[in-house]
Amino acid sequence: MKRLALSVTLCAVALTCGCRPEAGHESGVGAVIREAAEPVDSAEAAAVVQMDLPAAVLSEVQGPGGRFRVAARKGEMERFRCSGCHKGKTVGISGAAGTAHDDIALRHGEDQGRLGCATCHHEKERDFLVGADEEKIDFDHSYQLCGTCHFRQQKDWAGGAHGKRVTYWAGTRIVKNCTSCHNPHSPRFARRWPATFSPPLDEVR
Amino acid sequence: MRRRSSEDRAIGDFVDRVLSRPGSRREFMKKAAGLAAAGGAAALPGCGGPAGEEVMLKWKEYFKGNYRLMTRKEKDETVRRLERLAKLQDGVDVQVSTRPEWKQVLFGYGFNITRCEGFMECVSACVRENNLDRISKTQYVRIFEMEHGQMNVALGDGKFFHEVPVEGHFYMGVQCFHCESAPCIKACPTKATWREPDGIVVVDYDWCIGCRYCMAACPYWGRRFNWNEPSVPKDEVTRKQHYLGNRKRTRGVVEKCTFCIQRTREGKLPACADACPTGARVFGNLLDPESEIRYVLKNKKVFRMKEELGTDPKFWFFID
Repeated sequence: MKRLALSVTLCAVALTCGCRPEAGHESGVGAVIREAAEPVDSAEAAAVVQMDLPAAVLSEVQGPGGRFRVAARKGEMERFRCSGCHKGKTVGISGAAGTAHDDIALRHGEDQGRLGCATCHHEKERDFLVGADEEKIDFDHSYQLCGTCHFRQQKDWAGGAHGKRVTYWAGTRIVKNCTSCHNPHSPRFARRWPATFSPPLDEVR
Repeated sequence: MRRRSSEDRAIGDFVDRVLSRPGSRREFMKKAAGLAAAGGAAALPGCGGPAGEEVMLKWKEYFKGNYRLMTRKEKDETVRRLERLAKLQDGVDVQVSTRPEWKQVLFGYGFNITRCEGFMECVSACVRENNLDRISKTQYVRIFEMEHGQMNVALGDGKFFHEVPVEGHFYMGVQCFHCESAPCIKACPTKATWREPDGIVVVDYDWCIGCRYCMAACPYWGRRFNWNEPSVPKDEVTRKQHYLGNRKRTRGVVEKCTFCIQRTREGKLPACADACPTGARVFGNLLDPESEIRYVLKNKKVFRMKEELGTDPKFWFFID
């Protein structure tokens, strides 16, 4: 009986000792964040923030913070709609060279074996992209297609760790589409000179 | 003559009030100076001209209080004076805001060191947005080019200028981290710098005496000193300003990143986060579990610079 009481006491002591440093560690901004568990519905955001919602489509991916909006793409695309040229008849590469798409350098998925046009573009419905099951994907929702391979990035994008929010941190969440930043034919950002430079540290006092 | 006599009456009233109440010396000095300036300006030859007005405005500005002690009325008055002075001195129409913090907002920042490629768009956007001095090339943000495996920014290259990104390197942005337990605030002898309720550490430029103790106290190299009278070309001045943000500074005061208080209190992203071409910068409300910054804190591997100092910065670096 005594032994049982002793072990119970020891367990209790061990538990409280184990918790204490943890509780001590959780001070400052960490504790503040942990306590803030309810979504904030800011009155200021509704009153102050004025956004151009029609320029963004409602995402069909559920983010951790609920539904959000994605910057529309079709209005930004230079040569949309594709069916203006691609209407039924075959366009030979030699015929198109120098006229339409010769600015495209395909550097996408090179280590996986190069991708072709039809990997992403729908061969029959020319104004659409094509999903893994031959389904049509609207250009405004191109993130759905990108996410079939880049699912890890898509998860972070839906949550907010990848990609860019447009102009406002408050109010309706509008984020850029994948192709707003990445050229889908050559998604890596090109090497270039920086916009400016900083003076050496010892010259700044 | 009518004007002088009304001023005489005002002086009489003022003296009465001071004598009838044991007021503070500072109050007395302030009021006396204000009236003296008004009288002095009126006595100048060719009074009523812009020079006289400017002298009077500057004089009144000189004797105003600390921003945190100002009433709503005093804030409105100083804003009017500052806007008028900007027009008289620099010929620009500025709007100086005093918008207070939003309720239930605590700002936090995330910086993705995997994504940043050193394009420095953030730095030039910051310089433009915050009206930073072009003569001394003041910058709030510094990007360090670091070798893979290195974690000490002191060993990074903070003055690179070549094509980026460079193979085998990553880029790390350093600016004011808006510490919850900020050593700079504790070091200030005049209470010219403080933490706003939304977590932004701000400076009252008119209360700063330029002792630079805060700069010595900051372990992150976050503060900048105006050795010369700051100068911004007239057509490049950002006109939407905040009293605690990008309004005009003078020689001899300390300034720093304010999370673009003039933008963020309007619901906008800071200029650096808005300008970043790679999406390496995340900004948002730490109190909102649905915010992007909270997603980063919950799901990514994050660290803070010199965390062992206990400064509790609200700026997290993270990797993909």
